[in-house]
Amino acid sequence: MKSIADILREIRPEFDFSASNDFLADGMLDSFDVVTLVSALDKNWGISIEGTDIVPENFKNLQAIEALLRKSGAKI
Amino acid sequence: MSPVNTVGEVLDAVRRIKAGAAGFCTNLFPSPQKLQSWVDHNELFSEARDGATFFFKKDRDFWHLYFCAADLPGLQLAMNLVPQLTTEPVVADLVGVDAALGGLSSSLETAGFRRYAQLQRMSRAGPGDEAGRAVDDPTVFAEKHDRPAVLELIESLFDRYGEQLPMPYEIESAVDNHQVLAVKRDDTLAGILFFETQGLASAVRFWAVAEKFQSSGVGSALMRRYLQVHSDVRRFTLWVNANNQNAIRKYEHYRYAPDGLVDCILANGLIHP
Repeated sequence: MKSIADILREIRPEFDFSASNDFLADGMLDSFDVVTLVSALDKNWGISIEGTDIVPENFKNLQAIEALLRKSGAKI
Repeated sequence: MSPVNTVGEVLDAVRRIKAGAAGFCTNLFPSPQKLQSWVDHNELFSEARDGATFFFKKDRDFWHLYFCAADLPGLQLAMNLVPQLTTEPVVADLVGVDAALGGLSSSLETAGFRRYAQLQRMSRAGPGDEAGRAVDDPTVFAEKHDRPAVLELIESLFDRYGEQLPMPYEIESAVDNHQVLAVKRDDTLAGILFFETQGLASAVRFWAVAEKFQSSGVGSALMRRYLQVHSDVRRFTLWVNANNQNAIRKYEHYRYAPDGLVDCILANGLIHP
């Protein structure tokens, strides 16, 4: 199974996501990337992230994404 | 249509539709800042129907349509109940991977829209070119008094229905924030490059050279300077009309390549090119 960092690297290989605490403010993810990311997270963990959870604060950094996955039922 | 007075109204409407929706669909992807700007300039209106909410954004003499719907059948049904879709000139953008847009496109076409144009996104990995600025670099940042000419140049060279032209207040803000590079010849604006940079990513919004100054090095000077002042950026993007092979070739020269995302623009019967 891939890690969150692996998935982010596949979507935007040019960025070092470990060096940022706010992917959106730093321009590393845009709204279109978030849609791609949600689909990849769903597939990787066999979950379905709720539409109401697709808000910027849940994709701000690695910790926020991990919290979202747990909330959505992923076993991390 | 009701005016939208706060960004919260938009988010609440989207949440209401999303709740429990198995086939949620939307074409509304603006940043919170952009939404706020539309609200601040009284440009955004809404129409709610069962299972779908429509947002109309005023642009010059027509409207941009945004929607969120519980599913495609619901969208199609609701579109038939919104009279403005047949009495007002309206365009709608569908952004995504081309193959995934078929269902949405069909729903709009059933409601009387037709395919009007297609943009494709191109991107390149950074960094920008770090080479020093050329001694004879003719580029400057546009100044306050250039604003009308910047807007006029963009409006003369791009299609207002298909290419999301900036409003005058956006030009004002962009010029004030040093987001518009310019080349002037004999006090005339020969070309501009209008960009938006956010952290490590930067997007070219418009790269335009006035007809009488084309093929004279103005465009390349602007692009070189743009890349040079963004030496710390790691991702460059732009949208270009998919039929404009001349522009696409120019971007490819600067190492941009299509990244698979397209913007399919549909227009209703009151929009004429």
